Amino acid sequence: MINEYVPNLAIIKKIIKETHNTNTYFLEFLDKKLQKSFSFIPGQFMMYSVFGAGESAISLSDIDNNNAITTTIRNVGSVTNSILNLKEGESIGIRGPYGAGWPFNEMKGKNVLIVAGGMGIAPLRGVITYIKKQRNDFGHLEIIYGARTPDDMIFKYEFGNWKRIKNTRLDLTADAIPVNSPFECKSGLVTSCFPSIKANHKNSIVLLCGPELMIRYAAKCLETIGFKDNQIYLSLERRMKCGIGKCGHCQIGLKYVCRDGPVFNYTDIKPFIHPL
Amino acid sequence: MKAFVIEKNNMKKLLQRFLEEYTVFGPNKPGPDSTFDEIKSIEQLHLDYVSTVLPPKKFFLPPKENLFSFDIKNGKFTIKQITSNEKILIFGIHPCDVHALLKLDKIFSGNFNDHYYQKRRKNTVIVALNCVEPSENSFCKSMQTGPFLNEGYDILLTDIGTNYLLEIGTATGQRLVNGLNFKNASKVDFQEKERRFKLMDKKFKKSMNTSWLPKIARENLDHNVWLDLADHGDVAGSFPCLSCGSCTFVCPTCYCYDIYDTMDLSLTSGTRNRELDSCQLLEYAEVALGGNFRRDRKDRIRHWMLCKFGAAAGGLNSSCVGCGRCIRVCPSKIDITEVAKTLRRD
Repeated sequence: MINEYVPNLAIIKKIIKETHNTNTYFLEFLDKKLQKSFSFIPGQFMMYSVFGAGESAISLSDIDNNNAITTTIRNVGSVTNSILNLKEGESIGIRGPYGAGWPFNEMKGKNVLIVAGGMGIAPLRGVITYIKKQRNDFGHLEIIYGARTPDDMIFKYEFGNWKRIKNTRLDLTADAIPVNSPFECKSGLVTSCFPSIKANHKNSIVLLCGPELMIRYAAKCLETIGFKDNQIYLSLERRMKCGIGKCGHCQIGLKYVCRDGPVFNYTDIKPFIHPL
Repeated sequence: MKAFVIEKNNMKKLLQRFLEEYTVFGPNKPGPDSTFDEIKSIEQLHLDYVSTVLPPKKFFLPPKENLFSFDIKNGKFTIKQITSNEKILIFGIHPCDVHALLKLDKIFSGNFNDHYYQKRRKNTVIVALNCVEPSENSFCKSMQTGPFLNEGYDILLTDIGTNYLLEIGTATGQRLVNGLNFKNASKVDFQEKERRFKLMDKKFKKSMNTSWLPKIARENLDHNVWLDLADHGDVAGSFPCLSCGSCTFVCPTCYCYDIYDTMDLSLTSGTRNRELDSCQLLEYAEVALGGNFRRDRKDRIRHWMLCKFGAAAGGLNSSCVGCGRCIRVCPSKIDITEVAKTLRRD
């Protein structure tokens, strides 16, 4: 019987510093066979262990990169803090991938609107990379990305590449922009970028990820400007102990975020995220 | 499947047979505060018990256990799995508790099997005992989980006066009674079982109407009863909930757990542990940076009630079996059957 709770060891191949408290890691399983057979859908997550500190559920933040497992981690607690103390060449325990990814079948042939806040862009970067590669399978691509300050934005080195993707618009916004910021972006919440959305309501899919408060309001605003509930997909976050639908912690209404999500259709999850 | 009758003072022979192969656990004292404890002789076994404080889930999902141990040497990790192969037999488990195990079986299987739970479950023999005297708080009849059992047992016992009726449920059960030369059960013995089943019907003091209950619960997320339970009290004489988590600890279908690591003093080795958790505790729905999705007591007690009504993520796999343990242990006298009545406006 396979024991799903025991993590597999992986080596940190490379670390990229994203912000003062966020890094991107490229990992590889020690077990070559496991590494070769590893595949996932963007939007899925893995459980990362630092032995002695514990385990955390974090999304996969890009596809390809020579089949390396890419993840972007911000220091927000004890496990993530321990991960940020690790160096290249050190090992980490990982298991997964778990959960449901973004709905690529639904997106095919349609315009894609991506709305992300803060770390919420991480699980969506794989989608952008995929669309870039299979450009003709998708319609217009629009990326709205907001963060607290321009410095808190991750994947800044990708923005140029994203803008160059054919038939794509990138809209950046920050809550507060320091004086003399070398960075070009608007000021305000992600919802303030909504009036300039080009995607027409009929043939579009919206992918939404960020802090839950942002998700709630962004989803409401999207409804107001004419998107239907079933066109909106969102990725939720809860603390998870098992990642496989057993420990109960990530329950929201009738769903386990780990098993039924983390990517949900707005129709399915709407009754639970609004009143609670 | 076959059935036998066994004289009550012949139970020693049956226990002896079980002890040859298994570590046997059974109720160790009469009354409502019994405990499933190790049984080595017939004097220790009290099949006349009413209920146990902790349900038998403790054998499959222990309050605390080690999942695996790890060593750290020169920055390299080695993981050692911990699994137990102990074969146990639970003697005298009531129908409500058997039904709870059948529900937990579903929670801990599916796309991902829970290695630890499944292994223990496979190594366990269930000798169930039909209830002929309900506890003052039980309402298994309304939940269709008792007082008599139809499934989930290896051997099933029913008190029919001076004898027990012994019914075989599985090949393991049959193997265990082979060669013990018990008398075959007759039609009269089954008629006596039927008579006792009918007698039980009138003995229940509590009941819960479950038709449409999950839907009613889901559609009444802002019902006054939640605030009353949490802050005002007086839901059929209850005091405000203390969020102590006793209800979740004694509930046979509460399955939530926490996983955390502990290190030894040398910082070179440690274990990953699993411990029962409770949705009534503030930390349960906490996330990074101090966020909490169920910060209010009202939200936590509502979540538990919804879960037991079958209106949470566990669905009917985590719903109530009517054992009445939570009613007995609640220091605030909260009664789940009264909550259901208030919600239904009965």
